[in-house]
Amino acid sequence: MTPLLIAQIGLTLFVFVMLLSSAAVMVYVERKVAAMLQQRLGPYLVGPKGLLQPLADVIKLMFKEELRPLAADPLLFALAPILSATAAFAAFAVVPFGADTTLFGLLREPLRLQVADVNVAILVIFAIASMGVYGIVLAGWSSNSKYSLIGGLRSSAQMISYELSYGLALAGVLVIANSLSLSDIVNRQSGTWLGFLPRWFLFVQPLGFFIYMTAGIAETNRAPFDFPEAEQELVAGYHTEYSSMSFAMFFLAEYINMVTMSAVATDLFLGGWHGPFLPESLGWIWFLLKVAAILFFYVWMRWTLPRYRYDQLMRFGWKILLPLAVVNLLVTAAGVLYFGA
Amino acid sequence: MTSFYLFGAVAVGASLLVIAQRNPVYSVLLLIASFGALSGLYVLLDAPFVAVIQIIVYAGAIMVLFLFVVMLLNAPHEDTEQDLERMASRRPAAAGGVRIFGGALAAGLLVELWWALTKNGGESGVFPGGAVSSVRTIGRSLFTDYAFAFEVTSVLILVAMVGAVVLARREVVTGLGRGRPPGPRTLK
Repeated sequence: MTPLLIAQIGLTLFVFVMLLSSAAVMVYVERKVAAMLQQRLGPYLVGPKGLLQPLADVIKLMFKEELRPLAADPLLFALAPILSATAAFAAFAVVPFGADTTLFGLLREPLRLQVADVNVAILVIFAIASMGVYGIVLAGWSSNSKYSLIGGLRSSAQMISYELSYGLALAGVLVIANSLSLSDIVNRQSGTWLGFLPRWFLFVQPLGFFIYMTAGIAETNRAPFDFPEAEQELVAGYHTEYSSMSFAMFFLAEYINMVTMSAVATDLFLGGWHGPFLPESLGWIWFLLKVAAILFFYVWMRWTLPRYRYDQLMRFGWKILLPLAVVNLLVTAAGVLYFGA
Repeated sequence: MTSFYLFGAVAVGASLLVIAQRNPVYSVLLLIASFGALSGLYVLLDAPFVAVIQIIVYAGAIMVLFLFVVMLLNAPHEDTEQDLERMASRRPAAAGGVRIFGGALAAGLLVELWWALTKNGGESGVFPGGAVSSVRTIGRSLFTDYAFAFEVTSVLILVAMVGAVVLARREVVTGLGRGRPPGPRTLK
């Protein structure tokens, strides 16, 4: 085994563990920020400032009884959370999160901070996201409960509807970057315009960024688009009948999807690991900061906006967001033709 | 080569299992597994773009719709045997026809499979497209050499979509003497 291969395996494990712990951190942040927004204290008993609360939650979930409704389809009921969690983890594999590094001179050849460098990375993320829908649909159907079924159907209808705008928003960036590889796209965004404005695609694709973020919230089933689990009408939506670790897997998948969504937004629109003051080798700090900012924005949105009505969601998706995305793509393509890439 | 046989075995095995299932939901899922294995074969052919498109379009978009239909029709079991017996007691000629037709179809498929395996098994020619893997090449040939076919296909899909909307659309009849009397519940 070459040192590079060992480093690659280490990197894969590292990303896996980081994703797992990012979900735990997000749970804590979500609860703390929610508490601040509502003038409460939030978790504060377990550990200093309640920092160990996610750990306590996980232990509690592990020791809960695994329940399965008698009329459920046993195989699919067990498969659905696994599908959801696998899709969530797999999508992050093609996301680059830092410049090439030699690990402080330990390696002779530079290591790319990306688990799998695929030249169609964006499409891979898209494909895996469409696989994640199955987890939710099957969970809804196999539970054999009306709340689950309605939640699953709503969620898949919502995800399919917003996937179109999501894809078209991505296409605008692809046209400008002239590449499908995420690391290429990030590297196109290095440097500045006029000496101070970073060359982020956010500034050439503001509408694309808006569409991406909106569709991203809908894709991850977050408030104000959290219809699949609208608790006032559907108990908990597609995971109503799940308990213990299989419930935890859905929970995990949701938070990891959020992290992936933010990481991709950072790579596509916010210049990835490029930023001022820090050397290239410490670019991952910029990457983390940007991802954290977007995640905070997600949480902020959730506790600020009430849920839409379902017909409003569909009307917004098909009649406003999708035409906007098409216009954005057309204008971008025309601009690239006229001015050159 | 090992991965070729692995993906090939999964694709063939899953496809066979699709028709061996009683529950149509399982059939749909096995078909998705088969598509996944096919996409693996595309990766081995150095065509990652086609592989990913295979997943997005077939496994992602089309099969979700299939799954929807199957789930909502709520047809958990296909009792073809019992259906056939019921049919045989009522209309023996029709049932016999169904059996003969099914048998002929299966025999035809078997012959075709045998022909494909023996005739083309020996040649392992070079993949004709050369560099079709790159997105640029695919896009260029789609919009130049195959522009007509591409546009006609999109018209075909549009026709199917319009047809589906026409079939699914229900006229809301409001007016005296036809169906339910007009009131807040008939308004959409």
